[in-house]
Amino acid sequence: MKSNVRSLERVENIKGWLLSGPYWIFAAIFFGYPFVWLVVLALSKWNFISPRETIWLDNFIKLFRDPMFWTVTWNTIRFMFYFIPMGLTLSIALAMAFSKAKRFKTFFAMSFLIANVSSGVAYSIIFTQLFSTNGPVNNFLYDHFGVFIPWFSDPNWAMFSIAIMVTWKFMGYYALIFLAGLQAIPKELYEAAEIDGATKWTQFWKITLPLLNPSIVMVMVLAITLTFGIFTEPFMITGGGPLNSTQTFMMVIYTDAFLKYEPGYAATMSIVAAGMSFALILLTRKLIERKVEFA
Amino acid sequence: MTSKKMLAQNVKAVVFYGIMFAVSSVWLYPYVWLFLSSFKPWNEIYTTFIPSHLTLKSYSYILSVADQMGYPFLRGLFNSIFISVVVTVSVVVTSAIVGYAVAKIRFGGSKALFNFVIYQMLFPGFMFTVPLYIVIRSFGLLDTYAAMIVPSLMGAWGVFMFSQSFKSVPNDYIEAAKIDGANFFWVVFNVMVPLSRSTMAIVTIFTFIGIWDNFMWPLIVIQSHPKMPLAVLLAVFNKTYGGYVGPILAGSVIQTIPMVIIFIIFRKYFLQGISMSFK
Repeated sequence: MKSNVRSLERVENIKGWLLSGPYWIFAAIFFGYPFVWLVVLALSKWNFISPRETIWLDNFIKLFRDPMFWTVTWNTIRFMFYFIPMGLTLSIALAMAFSKAKRFKTFFAMSFLIANVSSGVAYSIIFTQLFSTNGPVNNFLYDHFGVFIPWFSDPNWAMFSIAIMVTWKFMGYYALIFLAGLQAIPKELYEAAEIDGATKWTQFWKITLPLLNPSIVMVMVLAITLTFGIFTEPFMITGGGPLNSTQTFMMVIYTDAFLKYEPGYAATMSIVAAGMSFALILLTRKLIERKVEFA
Repeated sequence: MTSKKMLAQNVKAVVFYGIMFAVSSVWLYPYVWLFLSSFKPWNEIYTTFIPSHLTLKSYSYILSVADQMGYPFLRGLFNSIFISVVVTVSVVVTSAIVGYAVAKIRFGGSKALFNFVIYQMLFPGFMFTVPLYIVIRSFGLLDTYAAMIVPSLMGAWGVFMFSQSFKSVPNDYIEAAKIDGANFFWVVFNVMVPLSRSTMAIVTIFTFIGIWDNFMWPLIVIQSHPKMPLAVLLAVFNKTYGGYVGPILAGSVIQTIPMVIIFIIFRKYFLQGISMSFK
């Protein structure tokens, strides 16, 4: 009997390793091996062809002295400064509207979510045309308000315009996350507040917003992760310009590795960018995450 | 008094739905504009919203003239479909098997495997772009379909999703199937997967859309136009022939439509997936 149990355990053990084996091997080749290369590259000077030269931390020193690195860091901060407040407020507002809507629910949800499945290349092309100097949006603005906005051609506007595009794409997605958060808030809290004579405005600030904290943290984490990965929009629309005002980390990594043939420097940049996004996420959680209890 | 109250409520409802429809149409506008413009005569693209008459000129240009110029869009479409389907099928099948190993087989490495999957998901994908290129290059796979397909054949996220969903399936189901003489694969694909249909739908949709929309990676590893997926071919064409707005918009419609169709068919699961993947 005992040996029977033991042999069953052995069979399970062998089965487990056999089934997960291909995954371990795959991960070793396409996760582990690149990981080693990432570290090796960051410590090397190389142009893909001539022998690789180990330069230890010189890439990091070069990075912190590189004005482009600081430009990109500043661009990333500017993007988040536009995108996060705009995305958060609009999607919370939309989620509240969703929760109020009794009819046409599917239609509303679909019209905001369909933006989210738009292909990056195609929607960059659409917005290039819509926001072009003499495009439909400017025609409309000029005819009705007499103004004209240099969406992508002015260094002060270009990053903001990209933030508008990204908001357009992700607002419905974030709103659904907030909607799930809103639905988790017990109705009794609002009823109690109503009896105590609290206005809708106070209810929003004292009940809705504090209890929405987990969703807010989640959306902010998603937004930060997204910010550091932005590539298609600047690549397609502005090429990083005007005056490098829309260069992002991914744009610079792409340029350095594949156009300037400096994979070592690009790998260093990607490690530092990933570190920054990680630090920012930790900071966000530390600063705004609260323990929420639905009593 | 009550009728006045009702009137006020009705006015409120009309204003609310009015605003909602207005805002949704702003969100739909870029798509509608794209769709209409791809059928417009070329001189009307910027000037009118509703075309004076519909024409297929932009489509015939992008599908046949561009082909003669060395930009085979029809082939690009098939490349995209081929790559996305192969990767999606592989991810779903392997994730189900490995997810089963994590959730239901008690073996020495199951805890380690689960932790490893979580650990993999912690790292942002962009960190690996440059080193993965070097790995693919050292295998001699640059400018091949394999370069676009092989690195995505399995994924930590899919394994994670399936393992979470399988954990909630009672072991009795598995035992019952085994007593009936079912082998392992039968258990996974005829017992476990049907019980986790929504997880399968979510993994399918998000993987398919992710691969279909993947831009940077194929841009880096593919050089020759006939092997490019639609997104990259469209981007390359746009860089060189940016003036041909009509054909480019027609190409964008072709690139977008499959995702929109998938979205509309699976919208129920898509909505579920958003709230589920964050629990």
